[in-house]
Amino acid sequence: MSTGRSRVRHYVAVIALMAGFAVVLFQLVNLHVLQAAKLSLKADRQHRKVVHVEGARGTIVDRNGKVLAMNVEVPSVFGMPALLGNPTELARDLATVLHVRPGDIKKKLQSDRGFVWIARKLDPEQGRKVNSLRQQGLGVIMERRRYYPKGPMLSHVLGFAGIDNQGLEGLELQYESYLRGKKQMVVLQRDGLGRVVFPTRSEPQLPVTGHSTTLTIDEVIQYIAEKELEDAVTKTGAKRGVLIIMEPRTGAVLAMALTPRFDPNAVRGLTPHRWRNRALTDVYEPGSTMKMFLAAAALEEGTASSETMIYGENGRMTVANTVIHDHDESGWMTFTQVIQRSSNIGAVKIAMSVGEERLYRYLRAFGFGDRTEIDLPGESAGLVKAPPRWGRRTLASMAIGQEIAVTPIQLVTAAAAIANGGWLMKPFVVSEIREASGKIVFQATPQIRRRPVSPETIQTLGHILEGAVAHGTGTRASVLGYRVAGKTGTAQKIDPETGSYSATKFVASFVGYVPAEDPRLTILVAIDEPRTESWGGAVAAPVFRRVAERVLRYLEVPVQGPIKLAMATRN
Amino acid sequence: MRTIAVGAVMALLLLYVWERVDLVQVGYRIQQLKAERNALAREQDELRVRISQLTSPERLARVATEQLGMIRPIPGQVILVSLGAGRPAAASSSEGMVRVAQHIPIQRKP
Repeated sequence: MSTGRSRVRHYVAVIALMAGFAVVLFQLVNLHVLQAAKLSLKADRQHRKVVHVEGARGTIVDRNGKVLAMNVEVPSVFGMPALLGNPTELARDLATVLHVRPGDIKKKLQSDRGFVWIARKLDPEQGRKVNSLRQQGLGVIMERRRYYPKGPMLSHVLGFAGIDNQGLEGLELQYESYLRGKKQMVVLQRDGLGRVVFPTRSEPQLPVTGHSTTLTIDEVIQYIAEKELEDAVTKTGAKRGVLIIMEPRTGAVLAMALTPRFDPNAVRGLTPHRWRNRALTDVYEPGSTMKMFLAAAALEEGTASSETMIYGENGRMTVANTVIHDHDESGWMTFTQVIQRSSNIGAVKIAMSVGEERLYRYLRAFGFGDRTEIDLPGESAGLVKAPPRWGRRTLASMAIGQEIAVTPIQLVTAAAAIANGGWLMKPFVVSEIREASGKIVFQATPQIRRRPVSPETIQTLGHILEGAVAHGTGTRASVLGYRVAGKTGTAQKIDPETGSYSATKFVASFVGYVPAEDPRLTILVAIDEPRTESWGGAVAAPVFRRVAERVLRYLEVPVQGPIKLAMATRN
Repeated sequence: MRTIAVGAVMALLLLYVWERVDLVQVGYRIQQLKAERNALAREQDELRVRISQLTSPERLARVATEQLGMIRPIPGQVILVSLGAGRPAAASSSEGMVRVAQHIPIQRKP
């Protein structure tokens, strides 16, 4: 009996065990075979972490390798609203740290979304303060931010990058495809605590850093240009100013200063009006600086020589019912004197000898009316009307730099052609682009656009322009120890209210090159609406002198000519 | 014989488990080192920013004039001389030319 009961218990136990194993076996088959695909996918989702990592934006350096734009890692604050506690209290605490309105933060904290950005790319100190709040559902992660360590220096040329590191203005926009880092997808495996265990399969490819860009700009020359320009604008009470320094032989821009400047690290709240690079985007009537190109046309066409006599009409002449004045009541002058004294009447007579078609052709040949194709965005082509659209007064107006609109970069490029034996170069600001590995992907080479006039014309014109500085309207541009050639300009501005030329608003400018016999620098100074004085020779020429003096010394350009003479001049 | 075989299988299994655990540990270590490397790179970037700010021409000029009392040379303090006895210098050569600064009285801002 007992043996029979024992046997029954034995069978029950065996059956129970077998049933148990059967359940386990069934579950094994169920999990590993029937639901294998679905469950592996679920497991993968939990273990694997796919991260999109973007390579850092490339740095921008000056021609000596000084950093002008780079990246820094800064904290960004995010929230997971579902895990957050009292949003009102938290919003108040965060608002104090982030200096924003509590209401704006509260709205984000009450969002339906799983993840919200509360504030991005903050100061490190703000990140530390947010971390110290120790709030569940609130976190701080590090993100790269574009940073311009020199602040407002070269701001109009560099431009700036946006919150997602995309180039928005200036060089940052123009060279976006080179500067921007490449995005890379990285698959990582994480454990139960969310820690990264090991990258799956092979080592993932690292994100590719953007290319490093070297400029033709020299930060010291840029500083000198900005400082002198700012001082001049402040001193004369002007609205703004532009100063460009170019290497005439190559077209390389050594400095491009605009004032007022802006800080590309803090563009929030600024308008495009403030960050626009007016050296390229804005046009103005250049006034008497145009006479140098008029003279080039007349000399090249042989309609006048440097000794041709021109009558100055005692400072008053009527053209197409408009009276043209000279500041001097001159009688007979040589062609050279017309340019050196900046006689309007003489210039009008020279223009008449050249004629409409030829003058138009030469102005276009010097690059007016066309973009210079400088490697910066937003360049304007300026405005040079074709002769069929000219009025009765247009030829006379063009002779004195009216009815023609040019950009500062066009003017300095054209003047650089005169300094460069007549060769018109394409201006550029980027000299080299390298991959992070150091491999060169782009190297700028000077590019000749054309030669508007012959070397003989340039030689004659050079002497005339030297005279304009030595004993003409530009004497205050003379630099001790060097020969300077250049031309002043005082352009009346159009009064938008009356539509006619203003008697009080001027653009005072000076464009020239130094040393005249072997030009290393072509410099344009344009001061918009100076209040204390208006003449280019009084306002812009001294800025040219101060900048040229300092830059020539910095570049160690040897003094030219007999020193005794230079010292005597100074003494 | 059977014991040896079972022992060998167990040893192999243990070796496999040890290798997997070690792999995970190495993974953690690599991540830790990467975090350290990133922190150092961040510090290096911060130092580069600092260097760039400290060597900025604007700051150097401010320190020179405001803290050290330096001034730009006034006419007569820098004397340009020619070794070639007044002969014009070659166009783009510094040969034969020197720039001498002498008799410069040191002036400090009050």
